[in-house]
Amino acid sequence: MTDNTIIIDEQTTWAGGRSPFNVSYGKLMMWLFLLSDTFTFSCLLIGYGAIRFSYGEGWPDPSTVFNHFPFAHGMNLPLLFVSLMTFILIGSSVTMVLAVEAGHRNSKKEVAKYMLYTIVGGIMFLSCQAWEWSQFIGEGASLRENLFGLTEAGKIKAAGLGFAHHYTWIEGVDRMAGPVPFASLFFIVTGFHGFHVFSGVVLNIIIYINTIKGTYERRGHYEMVEKVGLYWHFVDLVWVFVFTFYYLI
Amino acid sequence: MSNAHNNNATENEYIPETYIPHSENHGTKEIWQKFWILLVITIMDFIVYFIKVSPDFKIYKNIFFIIFGIIKAYFIVGTFMHLKNEKTNLIMTVLVPIVFILWFITWMMYEGHALSTY
Repeated sequence: MTDNTIIIDEQTTWAGGRSPFNVSYGKLMMWLFLLSDTFTFSCLLIGYGAIRFSYGEGWPDPSTVFNHFPFAHGMNLPLLFVSLMTFILIGSSVTMVLAVEAGHRNSKKEVAKYMLYTIVGGIMFLSCQAWEWSQFIGEGASLRENLFGLTEAGKIKAAGLGFAHHYTWIEGVDRMAGPVPFASLFFIVTGFHGFHVFSGVVLNIIIYINTIKGTYERRGHYEMVEKVGLYWHFVDLVWVFVFTFYYLI
Repeated sequence: MSNAHNNNATENEYIPETYIPHSENHGTKEIWQKFWILLVITIMDFIVYFIKVSPDFKIYKNIFFIIFGIIKAYFIVGTFMHLKNEKTNLIMTVLVPIVFILWFITWMMYEGHALSTY
């Protein structure tokens, strides 16, 4: 605030009557909510890391599991589909920030346009995730079951240490049943993130309808777009780490 | 709008719940610049993933992925979420509690051995 004529001294900064962080109440609360959500997601990802390392070589290689792409049957295409999902989410994040920028200029038409793009991006991401889930479930994964077994190195190690009795051979399936947390953590982590994306899409639709109806034009500012934008970028941010820890590492 | 921008408002006029600070418009140039950076980083992730390394060197690949993840996070939080242009107090309020997460990661990696199933 370059034209701020009030002299702020330390003793009265927090005495009320002004905004010490120079952000609105709603935006500050959104930041604090996102911080708490960061802790929730960190718990899930750290739990995932600890369980994964506790299995050592016994953990399936994600590139041998998530190697499908729509309309490409029987081809081994690891990481391609999930990279596409990342592109979609980053792209929708960019359209969101463009909507915020348009809001600063009070351009109702542009805000509505970019909000619509963001909603489309979010729905595309959710559709991709639904496809990925249905593939994985179709291969016998559930919260209590995982047919993706040990790696070759893991089998040798398992035989050497005599822990193969931890795993049961399933008739008719040419694999040793693998660690159950591989599937259950996948569903919980990506499911929790997907639920956030779904909530974000619902919020975006509400903002879009309000923009078209001219609610923010009458209010004189588009701050609601910024607040929901913060949430949407957070969802994108979480996906960056889910992508890194679940698919890349 | 007038309520939001009137810096000389007396305390009686000030309503914290509806106070909207004046937001500056930085244009779309920086947004697109960061978008291309994020795109290139994701493509580099994709390329590095397919570089075959011996199991001993896989840890360096993982460190590379984590560093790239943090760089992506910096651009998303800094530019897209506009945290870079906020007051230092707000930046610290958001970032300092992350120390607990770092501690949690270190702790769980240390304790992870005890969770080993074999």
